[in-house]
Amino acid sequence: MECKLFMLSLVLLVGGCATKPTSQMSPPATAFPPEAFITQRGVLTVLGRQFTLNGYLARSATQGQRLVVTENFGNVLADVLIKPTGETFVMKSSRAFKPRWIHDYMATDVRCLFGGARAGECPGTQLSPTHFVIHRRWYQLDLSIVATQRGPQAAALFDATQAEKR
Amino acid sequence: MTMMLTLAVSAGAVDGGGSLTSVVDPKPLLRELQGKMSAVTSLYLEFTQERQLKLFTEPLKSEGVMLIDRPDQIRWETTAPYQSILLGNHKSVAQFERTDGQWKKLKLGFPQMLKRVMEQMTLMNQGKLDGLTNEFNVSVATGSVTVVTMVPLDENVRAMLASLEVTMRPDFSATLEVVMNEPGGDLTRIRFTREKRGVKFPPETFDQTKPLDVAAVKAAVGDGM
Repeated sequence: MECKLFMLSLVLLVGGCATKPTSQMSPPATAFPPEAFITQRGVLTVLGRQFTLNGYLARSATQGQRLVVTENFGNVLADVLIKPTGETFVMKSSRAFKPRWIHDYMATDVRCLFGGARAGECPGTQLSPTHFVIHRRWYQLDLSIVATQRGPQAAALFDATQAEKR
Repeated sequence: MTMMLTLAVSAGAVDGGGSLTSVVDPKPLLRELQGKMSAVTSLYLEFTQERQLKLFTEPLKSEGVMLIDRPDQIRWETTAPYQSILLGNHKSVAQFERTDGQWKKLKLGFPQMLKRVMEQMTLMNQGKLDGLTNEFNVSVATGSVTVVTMVPLDENVRAMLASLEVTMRPDFSATLEVVMNEPGGDLTRIRFTREKRGVKFPPETFDQTKPLDVAAVKAAVGDGM
């Protein structure tokens, strides 16, 4: 009996750690202009190490969202297109960000911040109208919106036929 | 990596009007450049960086300052549209990010890689371009400006960086512009302005624990905001 209780406690303890209740960000779909170019600066923390990233998001209400991520010196690390239907296309990957990671995590983070996310897939905190922290099992992303330019984006940005071959 | 290295060399608004003549043997000019730069004990530059991706109609812009103090201190600070400080010397590197009005020191993911980049930036700004002839095909053209063009010899590097162009005043008294051309047509252009040589930086300018605010640095070097 004691052994079972101990095991139950252990399971609860471990399970409790793994599934520590985290707040969910409400996707601020209306917080950003439907047609815009949004510049972001992020700090990605993985296994205690931090990497700075720049994000450039082209947003179209009818054609989707296109995110290009670069490192400090401008090299493109990831490029992803998310159609309004939620269909996701990895346009470019890199050694830093593999296609799977971009598809599964980066695209989800875009939806969490800019709309289109499903309930429960956005563990994180909105610290201000332009400052967000996403907490996932594998990483934490601290993201700030640093510039927003309103206006329609070029249709070519949302052309999925240019996606990287997988 | 090599692409990052190119950020090192300083340059600015280029006089595009005059025609340039290719120099047959660039080595004497490169030696002259190194000789001039070796006398420079410190360097203050403001920069505007434009990343031109074919994907976007408008370039992605940022601006900031680059500070170098002999023998090995370097500070590359982006002031807009976000605020970030990279600091390096021969021993270590550090990065700070400003969010919600607070500076935070980062636990860097690849400090050795960043350290190498910062070291290369320092060396390049000492005019040690001749030492790169093992890695680049270096050519020089002169006219109203002097343009040093470097094409990577390594095919793998060339797949990322087609060429690097450094534009300077003819007497090497200031670097005006650096352009990094990529094979697909994308490029990064860094224009340097307000270059000051031989300035005295406040001691905390390169402090990797609490670097002095850039406004205070600017005031100290006589370039107050």
